[in-house]
Amino acid sequence: MLQLIVFNITNGLIIGAFYALMAIGLSLILNLSGVINFAHGGFLVIGGYLAYTLTPSLGFWGALIVAPFLTALIGFVVERLLIRRLYGRDPLYSLLLTFGLAFIIEDGTRQIWGAQGLPVSVPAALSSPLSYELFFITGYRMFMVATVAIVVGLLFVLLRYTRIGVRIRAGTLDLDTVAALGVNVRALRSLNFAVGIFLAGLAGVLAGGQLGLEPTMGDGLLMPSFIAIIVGGVGSLTGTLLGGLLIGVASGLTAVIFPSASEAVIYVMMAVVLLVRPRGLLGEEGMMT
Amino acid sequence: MFKDLIGRSVQRRTILKAGLAIGAVQVASPFVVKALAEEPIRIGLDNPLTGTYAAPGKNEQIGCQLAVDQLNAKGGILGRKIELLSEDSTSGDAGTAVQKARKLIERDNVDFLVGNVNSALAQAMAQVSNEKGVLHIVPGGHTDGITGIDCKWNVFRVCNTTRMEANAVSDLLFKNYGKKWYFITPDYAFGHTLFQGCEADLKKLGGTVAGNALTPLGTTDFSAYLIQARATNPDVLVVLVQGNDMVNCLKQIAQFGIEKQIHVAGTQQELEAVEAMPPEARVGLWMFEWYWKQAAGTPGLDQFIAEVRKRTGGKVPTARTWFGYVTIHAYALACEKAKSIEAKTVARALADMELPPAIKLQPNKVYFRGGDHQLMLSAFIGELLHNGDGDPENLFKVNNIVAGDSIAPSVADTGCKMNMPA
Repeated sequence: MLQLIVFNITNGLIIGAFYALMAIGLSLILNLSGVINFAHGGFLVIGGYLAYTLTPSLGFWGALIVAPFLTALIGFVVERLLIRRLYGRDPLYSLLLTFGLAFIIEDGTRQIWGAQGLPVSVPAALSSPLSYELFFITGYRMFMVATVAIVVGLLFVLLRYTRIGVRIRAGTLDLDTVAALGVNVRALRSLNFAVGIFLAGLAGVLAGGQLGLEPTMGDGLLMPSFIAIIVGGVGSLTGTLLGGLLIGVASGLTAVIFPSASEAVIYVMMAVVLLVRPRGLLGEEGMMT
Repeated sequence: MFKDLIGRSVQRRTILKAGLAIGAVQVASPFVVKALAEEPIRIGLDNPLTGTYAAPGKNEQIGCQLAVDQLNAKGGILGRKIELLSEDSTSGDAGTAVQKARKLIERDNVDFLVGNVNSALAQAMAQVSNEKGVLHIVPGGHTDGITGIDCKWNVFRVCNTTRMEANAVSDLLFKNYGKKWYFITPDYAFGHTLFQGCEADLKKLGGTVAGNALTPLGTTDFSAYLIQARATNPDVLVVLVQGNDMVNCLKQIAQFGIEKQIHVAGTQQELEAVEAMPPEARVGLWMFEWYWKQAAGTPGLDQFIAEVRKRTGGKVPTARTWFGYVTIHAYALACEKAKSIEAKTVARALADMELPPAIKLQPNKVYFRGGDHQLMLSAFIGELLHNGDGDPENLFKVNNIVAGDSIAPSVADTGCKMNMPA
């Protein structure tokens, strides 16, 4: 039993790391632009399918790097053409827009790549378990966790030590003042949106290797990511990271005791957090109004 | 007379008015005008085109359309052309499926309703079709009730019941793989009845259930369940989830190397899912409800495959394509036999009707059982192949083709009490 619990905590951390990658992208966009990006799962799907298309010419590793950048580029264009027009309006507008976008992306994917799922093979070096006992820790899953750790680490460095990062963080707290100080807020938001979408695209490529591709694959991954933000606290990226890991572990542990509730438990966690500490674990007071 | 007319100098305006009036009469009484040219028979397909079940839904649609085109090329049904009206039922929203069914019946006046891939949606649609007295064939929703306790005079089913699927593989699994089974089951109507079927078979054979993980529909990560499964050390890991869940589950089983330690198997397997898996995940013993690679000389088979390839960009038909194809042809045959399209008459003709070789496309007798309106179709039992055997599309090695009535429970055991209205 103890071994089962340890296994499931480790397993939960692996899954949680993945949720965190999605959630941090969502969180970036929500913090600076006030947009609840329902199309985030759609961008994840785009990233995965782009990688699939690029793999024959660039190989797995090339696609892993190029596909997220292309996805970010698409995100950048979408922000410029559509989402930008709704800044400053009721968040409901952008929510409806991105909700519609999610459908358009899903059906567009189905139109281009077909309704049937597509298989993705990962390099042989990554596709076997590390040991007989710890069979659930495969090379690919370790690689996923490492990638998430590196990218999130880089992102935190970027936000803390670069001028753009400082502006994004400042904008999260008080966008008007940042604008008054002469920062080009429009460009900042576009860039920030693109970074968020880059993370979605990367998540898509990684998920493709783990799960295969399918036009609706983003749906199942989007909800836990929203919950990670709420649990961790709106406005705090560290909180979001923590939230992602926490719900991963909680759902892993529940699987030992009561498997059919392993999905429900993350919603219960959200409800408890909202009741006891509405701002989330590390959230700023008043960010969620 | 002409002179008279001309003499009265008919005004252009009058002619225009007359023309308009004639036009109006045509619009106002379409039945009169159209009856002369025989109004087409309308078939309503209410099936998923978006969401999780978009791929099987699309394939059933291709099969339906192929049958409609073939029939129309030969003059239609009873000399009337056939028109296929397709609506997206969504993959999981019963409300939408019901609304589309009502639209097809009330507004489009369809003579025959087809759907649904999702068992729950099929059951909801059956309520509507029954209330409206419209003949209804369920091509691909498996839960027992449809032709069991909830059976209806106007509802027929082409695909297997979950109980038939369980019966198709249980004996073989028990004999070849062992007696302690762990189940991974989707947590909804389909999964519940499928598990109950397997559990009953296993107990009868003297085996034990090591565990049953009920997983929510749409589960992407199965690692927690697989850790759980391996801890119980079963002889067989029985995977009952379907669609993308199946792809994800088998993919993880292969990544973790579980198939090298425990026998992996399941009941229903579909080509749509197998094609979406990487080669290493194609493992285990399963049943297909129809498979394209059969003995040479199966009547009509080569032609069917060739026709489907033309419509799918070269892909072979799946069981879903066949479901759609059989659904339309069975309806046409029943109408011709009844010499009518009136629902009750056609339903009577369909009950106990045997499908001819060119439609059934398989060995064994294939027929609708009169007592529960369930099609007795063969089960194709065999093993998945990592890579195509001689053909990249041949991903399943069929060991055995079992007649449907040898795996179906008796009508009495299905719980169906058929009430045919007078």
